[in-house]
Parts: sequence; structure tokens; C-alpha cells
Amino acid sequence: MHILAKANLIEAIERLVKEFKVLVPMQYDGVSRFSVWGSHGMQAFNASNTLLPPKDSLFPRTETLYAYQVANQEITGVTVRDQAEHQIIFGIRPCDMQSIHCLDDVFLTKGYADSYYHSKREKLLTVCIGCTKSEPTCFCESMGINPAGHSGADIQMNDLGSGYRVVAQSQSGQEIVEKWKDLLSQGQEEVVAASCTLKVDMNGVPEMLATLFEHSLWQEVSRKCIGCGTCTYLCPTCHCFDMDIQNQGNQGTRFRCWDSCMFSDYSRMAGGHDPRPSKSERLRNRFLHKLQFFSERYGKSLCVGCGRCLIKCPVHVDITLLIDQVRKEAAHV
Amino acid sequence: MSDNCYANELVPAIAKVFKIVDETPDIKTFFVSLPDGTKPFTPQPGQLGMVSLLHIGEAMFSVTAQGETHLEFAIKKCGLLTDALHEIKPGQMIGVRGPYGNGFPIERCLGKDLLFIGGGIGLAPVRSLITYCLGQRDDFGTLDIIYGARSIADLCFKEDLFSNWPRHERTKVHVTVDQGDPDCSCHIGFVPAFLEKINPDPQDKMVILCGPPIMIKFCLEVLTKIGYQDEQIITTLEMRMKCGIGKCGRCNIGSKFVCLDGPVFSMADLKNLPGEF
Amino acid sequence: MNAIQIKMREVAGQLLSLGEVDRVIGWEKGRFAHQSPPAFITDETKVERLIWDEYCLTGTAKYLLDDPYRAGKTGLFARGCDARAINRLIQDGQVKRENIVIIGICCTGMSDSVSRQMAAKCCDCTHPTPVVYDLMIGEPVKPVAKPERFKAVAELEQKAAQEKSEYWTRQFAKCIRCYACRNICPACNCRECFADQYRVGWLGKQHHTAENQVFGLTRAYHIADRCIECGECARVCPVGIPLMELNRKLIKDIQQLFGDYHAGVDSETAPPLGRYSLDDMEEFM
Repeated sequence: MHILAKANLIEAIERLVKEFKVLVPMQYDGVSRFSVWGSHGMQAFNASNTLLPPKDSLFPRTETLYAYQVANQEITGVTVRDQAEHQIIFGIRPCDMQSIHCLDDVFLTKGYADSYYHSKREKLLTVCIGCTKSEPTCFCESMGINPAGHSGADIQMNDLGSGYRVVAQSQSGQEIVEKWKDLLSQGQEEVVAASCTLKVDMNGVPEMLATLFEHSLWQEVSRKCIGCGTCTYLCPTCHCFDMDIQNQGNQGTRFRCWDSCMFSDYSRMAGGHDPRPSKSERLRNRFLHKLQFFSERYGKSLCVGCGRCLIKCPVHVDITLLIDQVRKEAAHV
Repeated sequence: MSDNCYANELVPAIAKVFKIVDETPDIKTFFVSLPDGTKPFTPQPGQLGMVSLLHIGEAMFSVTAQGETHLEFAIKKCGLLTDALHEIKPGQMIGVRGPYGNGFPIERCLGKDLLFIGGGIGLAPVRSLITYCLGQRDDFGTLDIIYGARSIADLCFKEDLFSNWPRHERTKVHVTVDQGDPDCSCHIGFVPAFLEKINPDPQDKMVILCGPPIMIKFCLEVLTKIGYQDEQIITTLEMRMKCGIGKCGRCNIGSKFVCLDGPVFSMADLKNLPGEF
Repeated sequence: MNAIQIKMREVAGQLLSLGEVDRVIGWEKGRFAHQSPPAFITDETKVERLIWDEYCLTGTAKYLLDDPYRAGKTGLFARGCDARAINRLIQDGQVKRENIVIIGICCTGMSDSVSRQMAAKCCDCTHPTPVVYDLMIGEPVKPVAKPERFKAVAELEQKAAQEKSEYWTRQFAKCIRCYACRNICPACNCRECFADQYRVGWLGKQHHTAENQVFGLTRAYHIADRCIECGECARVCPVGIPLMELNRKLIKDIQQLFGDYHAGVDSETAPPLGRYSLDDMEEFM
């Protein structure tokens, strides 16, 4: 197997920065996220997962769609903004890798390919590092994800202690590995993979949820929810967006930005009608989207078990407890 | 500037509003063509179009009608964008993109008698199908159109209701208003009660039902009572939409998106979905 | 089992069984040892769910706003911070005192769920004993002045304007606009927040530093004289923005301009910015 000594990691990354914007896990000002190589902060290759998910590299928090000019209330021009650069997410974890697969389903399938996402996705390379330790809040295994790695990454790496095992899993991954040729050594070492201590039983949960739409558990679970967007903004798969405009004199831009289904104006229509008027309907919609609706539509779970919402929900609304409760209630139905 | 025409699926084509018709005190129909005189897109009856004033906002509307070179949108004044649209004058440019959604299942209506039930602005989506059926008159059985509005002044498409449509063979228009002078020419009363009075035979019939939620609710009760099956009833739904292409997330009902899988659903479809609309 | 927890369950059971309240709001155990989220109990047989430990961090009072028109009375477990929050809501006309049975708990402070040290918000607590209550559990503790809670503000004040600006710009660059700070805050009780009035256009929905700052600073100003210093905003911020430094700067300024004032200590004394006096300082006008 190819082994990249840890001493060579920096050189390996440096070789990519000419061609790619290289994003690596960094800790800065108390927040860990994928930041451009060389920016402020401490590299966090050894930490288990970044607080902020990597989705913004494909689906930015705010993204200009087009600019327009207006004169005397008349539109005089429209310019489309859609520029993508070659990016590498270096050090993505298997759960987040799976989240990109979910986003691919949303943005690239079912009749329409979103061109803003598509142009970025085409120029994205992923280097996945398997997990050797799990946090108490990690439950990716229960969501069918292997903590050791993800077959969808262009390059799969595994921490062996003094170095990383390197496996190219795609043509573009192979091209990167070629560039590292002189940095790699050959060897045989055993790959250690983490095992999650937190486990939930997802077997049959989508079908169970289909029978519990009107159940009182949603009222109960949502009581403590404060209706903030923490879970949705830290979630690697949440992808709802709003579209709005910003006018400046005779010109303006139309942008899209992250939105949260937990917010009260999310589905309120002009005229005032809201099909999800209170937090219990909104929380139910969010959990059902994660665990039932997405699997009905795309054949996979929209929860990847990364545990970010478990860590940061201000009032500990916990999707794993919800799954346990669903199993319990479904047994009574 | 139509060189940007559909640069991508989220960018509107810039089109000209060449005619505006006042339907009621708060509903206007906008006639829209591209600057080169062509039609922005060719929708199926019941499909949707995103209409925008670029510096104000964008919203989804059903395409009420189309000609060889233009689209028509009947739009009720009820929010930021629609208020502004009601202020524009013929000649102004707006943004349009589409078509979106599934449209009416025409193949399921072929050879059948059709019953259209509309309330208020709810006639707008239905009108595209009525026009289609009248254009292909021999493909369909009898057409009955039941339509109601708050008052005579609030009736949309009066020329169609009272002049164009009734002229066609095997086509009847039944109009009711919630309130009116005793000597007014149409029936006075709510649509569901009017429907019960007309008591249309369910045999070999499809129903296209569109209007405010409360009207739909009570009409469904009447239809069930008369003996209609869920599979015979088709309706259109409205949800808040942003992208129109099934990505932005907010128009979901269960695992369906109104912008892609709707807006047209049969009652049988809706019974299999959460009642969140 | 600790004495407070035993008493909590006993009192909750009594109130529910006698029908004096139809629900109580306290805390229960979450999945992990360091999680004690709020609990809502309507059934006297379920009072065993109630717990009292060092991780009962979440404020209880704000939940009174979730259904302001509910018919029944609520039994609310309240520490010093929660009691001040109740006064806040009463004074702001959001809840009626007669609809709440306040079960005061003399609190000795909670632990941070990550560091396991005394939580920052509790280190700065001046009123550990509830200032308003119907029943009381535990031994009352005197209010403490804690002038050191303004230390971080005083240090910031020493910095040059440019440095201060850079500091706060960096902080708000982190903001993800989840609105957890606002939603948890008992002083943020507007029926419709300016930040949600997109159609009016106070604030753009874009996620970027400038809009984040407009939100954060406007919110701070709006609660300037009404902040009860519960510290919940800073606790719930997922990206660790030191929001209490901002609030304390305004509290400090208000104390300098209008004299000693502690929001929510009673429900009668009007907040300084909500009253007018001929003696008010005019230097800033």
C-alpha cells in the first residue's frame, strides 16, 4: 500500500495549492471548519469532525445568482454570475462525504441540475480521512456509513500513526497521487477504524414514521425546541435556501442564501397562510425530511450521523432519542 | 436584453408585458411576450411560471392562458410583488421563467365528461384546461363549469364566462356569487351549496376543483356525498416556492414537491400525503 | 439523590395533583450525563422525570411565551436568573403573574457541559436566589455585587477604536445567523422580531459579516436596559461569540448614565430607557 509519512503531509498539500483551492480542517477563534490552506488558525487533521460542515464549498451560505440593472423601473441588463474554481476538500470525514452524496441527489437529479452547484461539484476533489476515534455523539455506523472510509471520495486516506495509507479511488484521485509519487513509500500496515459507541436502530424507521405523522410525540419533542437554526446550519445535509435581492441604486443582485425550516417565516405565504404554523409542525417536517421523506424520494437517509446537532442544540433536542422513541411508539400503534 | 434567455434554470428571461386587463378590482391579467415577439415558453395546461420584477421579487403563478406568441398570467393583488405588479403599465419588462410542475393529466380526461369547479382566483389555473378542451372539443364529453366569487365585480374572465364559453356545444357555465342584488342575473350562494343543487352525475366524469381551501373542503364533502371517487377529483395546490425546480425545499408535502410533482394532484394522491398544505 | 431534586418532585406532584397548576416546567436528563434539557410535565405520575444537577443550564421562563393564551396555570421552577426573566416578561406585558406558580430554587451555579468547570454565566451571577417566588426550595443566598463581571468590558474599552472594530468584526464574521441568542433570550420578546421583517428590509437575509453585525448590534441595543444577565445568549451561541461582553458594555454605560439599575430584580421599576426624568443626563444628545 502507498503510505504518506505525516512529515510529508505539508509538502503533499503544498503541491496542490497552485492548481486548487485546498480546504483543510482548521480551528480558529473557537470554531473549526474547512478553511483555505494557509489561512489563520490551527490545522485540525487529528480532531474528529469540524463544527461547521463542508457543504458551503459547494453550496455557499450566500451566493450571487445574477446581477441586474434597472433604469426608470425598466430592466436594462442581466448578468449571470457562476464562477467555480478547482477545489479540494482535504480531510473530509466519511459522514461528511456521505452528505455530499445527499447534496448531489438534491442538486443534480430529478429533472433539473442546479448549474451553480454543478459547476462547483465538477471541479471538486475530495480527500477523505477515515476516523480512528469516535466522539460520544458519533453514530454514522447506524446510518450505514463506514467510519474507515467512503468509496465516493477521490482519495481515501487512513491514519496509521506515523503516516497515512493513500488509496486513489477515481481517475482524478489517481492524478493527484501521481504528483505525490516521490513522497510515498510502500508498506503493509493494519488500518484501524473507529467504532461508534452511540448506536440507533434505523431498521424500518422510515416506514414506522409514515404511521406516526399525527402522533402526539411531535408535540412532546418540540416543546423544548426554541426554533433556532442551529441544527439546520450545522447539519452537513440541510440544504434549504431562500432567494432574495439586494438593490443598490440602479443595480442589484439576486442571491440565494441558507435558510432554515425551523424559522417561522419559512413556509408562510403571501396572504398569511402557513401550512406549518407552529414549532411542532416545523420540527416534525425537519425530522421526517431527514429520516423518511428523503429516503422515499432518493433512497437514502438524510441524516449521516455526524452528531453536530446533538452537540450544539441549545436544549438537547436529540435525533437519536427521537429514533428510539419512534421505535417505541411504533410498537404500540 | 433577451440574450440571457434561460442562461440557467434560476435566471429569468426578460419579457415585455404588452397588455394588461383588469379582471376584478384586485385581479389583473398580464399578457407577456419576449422582446422578439415570441412566447417565453410553452406550458401544458396547469403548469406554472415564475414571474418577477427583478428589483422587487419573484413568485410562482399558474399560466392562465397562452397564444401563439404570448403567455397570460391572472394575478391577484396580495403581497409585496403582486402589489407592485398591479402598478406596472403595458410596455414594462418583467422576468419570467418556466414552465414548472406537472400540469393537468389530460390523458385521464380524454373522452370523459368534465366538471370544472372554481372559486375566485382559482379559475386561473382551471382556465388553461378549459381553453385546451374547447380547442380539442371532440376529445371530451360534456363540459360543466361551476364558478363562484364574492360578488359580480369579483368574477374573473367575464367575457369567457358569459359569452365565449357558453357558445360552445355541450358546454354549460353555472355562475354563483356569495352576495348580490336580488335582481342580479346569476345565482346567489356559496359554491358548495350551488354544487349540491346542480347535483352533477358522477358517471364517467372527472372533476377539476380549484379555489380557496375552505371552498375545496366543503366541495369535497358534497362531491363525496354525490358519489364521486377520489380518483375522479383533481385539484391544484399552492405552497410557498423559491426555486421552482425542487431544490430549495420549502414547498414539500411529505416527500413530494409542489413545484415539481404538483401543483396538480388527484384527491387519491393527496390522501397518501400528510395533510400539510 | 439530592435534596433539591427530592423536593422538586414532591412540590411538582402536589401542585399537579391538587390541580393548582396543569403543567410544570423544570429539567430532565438528556442522553448524555452533561445534558439536562428542559422538561414539561403535565401528569403527576411523571414527576420522577424531573432532575436537579449541575447541568440544568437552560432558562425556563421564556417557554411561557410559547402559548401565551393557554388557560391553565404553569408551575415554573426558577433559579435566580429565571426569576429575573419572569419579572422581565411580566414587566414587558408578556405574561401575567397570576398564571404562574413560581417554585424558587436557590442555585449555587451550574457547570459548563464541555469544560465541566463552573459555567461562565453562573460565575457572573449576582442573584443566585430567586427575586420572586411562591414557594422556595433550598437555603437563600445573598445577592453578590460581582463587579469583576465588567472586567472584560473594561479591558476592551482600553483598546483603540480600530482594534475594537476588528475584534467585533471578527466575532460577527463567525455568526451563522441561527438566532439561538434571540430565541433563548427572555428580553427578546417582541411578537415579531425586526430581523424577521424581511419585507420591511431592516436586515438582509444574506449571511455575511455586515448583516450579521446589524443583527447582533441591533439586538444588543434593543435589550440594553432590559438584559437580565442570564448569559443564555452566550451559552447557546454555537460559534462562541462573547455576546455578554456586548450586553455588559451597554449595562455598564447605562449604569454610568442613569445610576445603578438591575433589570428584572423587580417588575415595577421601569428600565432607564423606558422612563423619562428631567434629571436625565443630556451629554450624549
